[in-house]
Amino acid sequence: MEQMIYALVSEKIDHGKLAASLSGMQGIAGVNLYAVLFNQISAVVSDMSRASQIAGKSTAIEYAGVIETLSQQFTLLPMRFGSIMQSNEAIIHMLERNYHDIQQNLLKVERKYEFGLKVFCDSETLMAELREKSEASPLPSATPAPEIKNSESRNWVNKKLKEHRLEELLVSYIDSVIEDITGQLDRLKTISKIKKMVTPTTIIDGVFLLDKALKDELIHAVGDLQNKFPGLNFILTGPWPPYNFVDFIVK
Amino acid sequence: MHDNVVDRCKDITILEVLDRVLNKGVILTGDIVISVADVDLVYLGVKLMLSSVETMEQLKSGKSIAGK
Repeated sequence: MEQMIYALVSEKIDHGKLAASLSGMQGIAGVNLYAVLFNQISAVVSDMSRASQIAGKSTAIEYAGVIETLSQQFTLLPMRFGSIMQSNEAIIHMLERNYHDIQQNLLKVERKYEFGLKVFCDSETLMAELREKSEASPLPSATPAPEIKNSESRNWVNKKLKEHRLEELLVSYIDSVIEDITGQLDRLKTISKIKKMVTPTTIIDGVFLLDKALKDELIHAVGDLQNKFPGLNFILTGPWPPYNFVDFIVK
Repeated sequence: MHDNVVDRCKDITILEVLDRVLNKGVILTGDIVISVADVDLVYLGVKLMLSSVETMEQLKSGKSIAGK
């Protein structure tokens, strides 16, 4: 029988606590959960008979629910949905092979929460504001070279230069917002991963790992940022298990 | 109006959950035997999320959803 793996849990404090917690929980499709232990790391698993039956949105959410519940009591590394191994022995060998990496990653996320921060803009309004700014202070290079006589070519060059200038202003604006965000969050000693311009309306998509005790300070800091940039929409989500801060691939 | 905001916040949360559980976390190589067939739901979800945010912005500025 195959085993679905939900999370890798640190058990260096209390070996009995995890087993007690799992006895009151259910895995996807209502099956029992149990721990497969190797040294101080346990894999939380459930038996499964037919893998094809569990592929779906609702089971993925159930799976996340198990990880979420466990993360409230234990330091853990979430597994990606669909992590299945052929037997308990195979899981033990996997824990043994990757023991050092798992321990290092568990240490990194110990007593920490992950938060997500997305910054949205009304792209039309933002571009209009930047266009206005660009037209108010054109770059010297915005004037085409005098040797371009033809008015059609001249217009085309002008248009391209304006577009380029607008793009530069947008990137520079987003960089300044990111600088403000990281400036605020560096005070909280967060580890961050930030992507910019994910879509025309999602200008920033970031994740942060920070000490559990600093949760309220993070919420306050994001509130300050929202006040500073009223034209943007800051959406903070979390606390999450540390999905985005697993930095190894199981061998 | 409040219920609409709550519903849309739930949509965002579900999308965030799916994004994490399907795309993040520890990756097992060679042992994965299933894939999520409805991955398109996530793509649809992104559009849903973006429209939700716009709706929330409208709500914030006092415009009604019916007037969309």
